[in-house]
Amino acid sequence: MTRSFILSAGIGDPALADPAMAGEILSAAEAAGVDLLLLGRNDSLLFDPQVIAAWAAPRVSRVGLVPLVSSRIAHPFHVARSLSAIDYLSGGLLGWAPVAQGGSAAQLADMVRATRALWDGWDDDCLIIDKASGRYLDTTKVRASNYVGTHYAVRGPVNAMRPKQGHPVLVCDAASPFAVPGIDVVIAAEGQAFPAAARRLLRVDAGADMAALTARFSAGEIDGLHIELTHPAAELARIGKALAPLTQGRPAAGTLRERLGLPLSLRNIHEEIA
Amino acid sequence: MPRPIHLWAFLQGIGHYPSGWRHPGAEPEGVFTMDYYARVGRLVEKGRFDAIVFGDQLQSRGVRGRTPEHLAMPTLDPMALLSAIASVTQHVGLVNTLSTTYWSPEGLAERFATMDRMSGGRAGWNIVTTAHPDTAPNFGDEELPEKSQRYKMAAQTVAQAQAIWRERNAALGPSPQARPVFVQAGQSGDGRDFAASIAEAIFCSAPTIEEGIAFRNDMRARVAAAGRDPDAVRIMPGLSFILAETEAAAIAKDQAILDLADEALCIEYLSESLNCDLTGFDPAGPIPVDHILSQTCFPKADIGRALEKPAAIGLPLGKFASGYVRTPRGHNVFRGTASQLANMMIQWVDAGACDGFTLQPAYMPGELEIFVEEVVPILQAAGVLRTEYPGSTLRETMGLPRWPADMAA
Repeated sequence: MTRSFILSAGIGDPALADPAMAGEILSAAEAAGVDLLLLGRNDSLLFDPQVIAAWAAPRVSRVGLVPLVSSRIAHPFHVARSLSAIDYLSGGLLGWAPVAQGGSAAQLADMVRATRALWDGWDDDCLIIDKASGRYLDTTKVRASNYVGTHYAVRGPVNAMRPKQGHPVLVCDAASPFAVPGIDVVIAAEGQAFPAAARRLLRVDAGADMAALTARFSAGEIDGLHIELTHPAAELARIGKALAPLTQGRPAAGTLRERLGLPLSLRNIHEEIA
Repeated sequence: MPRPIHLWAFLQGIGHYPSGWRHPGAEPEGVFTMDYYARVGRLVEKGRFDAIVFGDQLQSRGVRGRTPEHLAMPTLDPMALLSAIASVTQHVGLVNTLSTTYWSPEGLAERFATMDRMSGGRAGWNIVTTAHPDTAPNFGDEELPEKSQRYKMAAQTVAQAQAIWRERNAALGPSPQARPVFVQAGQSGDGRDFAASIAEAIFCSAPTIEEGIAFRNDMRARVAAAGRDPDAVRIMPGLSFILAETEAAAIAKDQAILDLADEALCIEYLSESLNCDLTGFDPAGPIPVDHILSQTCFPKADIGRALEKPAAIGLPLGKFASGYVRTPRGHNVFRGTASQLANMMIQWVDAGACDGFTLQPAYMPGELEIFVEEVVPILQAAGVLRTEYPGSTLRETMGLPRWPADMAA
């Protein structure tokens, strides 16, 4: 099977918190063949990326929505609930990019572990929903997580379902790294070390030489590109065109995890750390 | 011109009857899909409702770690659901419940500011404190803060959030409503005073027209005493309803839905309401009053009073639980025809018992569809319900002052 190229783009402009602008950007991203659209910027969040991702959920058919989730203000219990909902509402097109935003890397990693532990408190097949017998739920498939980490203790079970994808696609920005197993996608700049992850994306400018970068993908050096956008609509149109030979003909159906060829079951991954 | 009736749709989970999910008109699988919420959002907008309201909890339903098998849960995060509904609707307000006990002012301020922008000014915040003891361990605490401390935290959190919104509005340009519409639902003295000081709309229970009038008069007096205009506050009591072609048919339909709740479901529901696991007790045996009073975290005096009479006549636990699911929260429960319901609503508003209603469909989406198809046209023909939305923001829809004075900066 041929390796699929991954195209990622990021937007942190506060203009995104405008429905008309956000709608345009989403359409442009779909047309350009973007796989991951990172919402928010590492250094400052001028809006809540999770609200924008939820708003965008009914409007995307293939673009993966990847809100930045800041451990500075986000509690794992809130994160687990919010992302579970957005994953369902988007039909399984959700990723998440935890960032420390001035907090510590240890706290960030702990937030990721605690959130995953809450998700894993529910089995994928826990719902019965049988009107005839009156049984809604198989309670043997629901557990309190009783997670105790370095920064968070969360008992659970969380009042949300395990996300449609099990765990949304986990994206790590090498500029705000965290140490947990099972990172799906990592983004690093030229010369920056790639933390361990299933897929590696090189961070470049929208003006970079796409032909040269294509060669590095073919050589197996990287799995794709992450492009930080400053003028989203125009840049997306240009990038889409330049990378069309790589992005056309890739799978367009299924969840984000399925499309990117990432492992489907990450259950109890937090236990590997204990 | 007759007084307008404001309508909210309280669309918790899969309907307000614990057995509602088993009704043929219920779509329990739908609550995990966007299609369902898109359909419900458009239905509510077709009915020209002011807002969709979601409640919230920060713990799983159940009792001390035991999860119910027969109740329709889990649900999904209401803030995400309302933000997604904002994307597929144009007018309807989106009122989200968010706790001041376990949300940081920064987190909630950012969340509502973004939602107000993305919805074009349709965000509302139902400001609550967290009272359920199972919440604390989800946030690393052993116990909840004391009640008085929780209300103090609520006032501080609201003040801090307002300060953050003021800064953001100055830096980024104001969001369409400057801040979300403030909603409150407290019924106690503390809750009423808190509501009088900040709420622009109040959700309450009013089982009879007399109780509605008394509550509204009391709240309007408290609002005036707080130096605010009582006409700038909407009182929106809960209203459960079961509709059919005739009153007798509605009563039969109500009974049929209640009959879907077997004793096991009723006892689970009662256990959850009292936060006291009763599933191990014999349904045919007596109500375990001492056990309940020693276990429950809710006001023992109130619960003791409620149990006194059924225990004295020797009502079995299962029978007591079956009766309890009918009116658990003390809201008005209407059973009858569409025109009877419309007349009742007009009568309440004319009598000053409320400014509108928070409709609580027994099951979803079937019962809400019947309301929109049958009751809404009657209210519109009577001139008490809008046929078009007056503007785009929730404040415009509710007829509330546009820019709160404290946020004008």
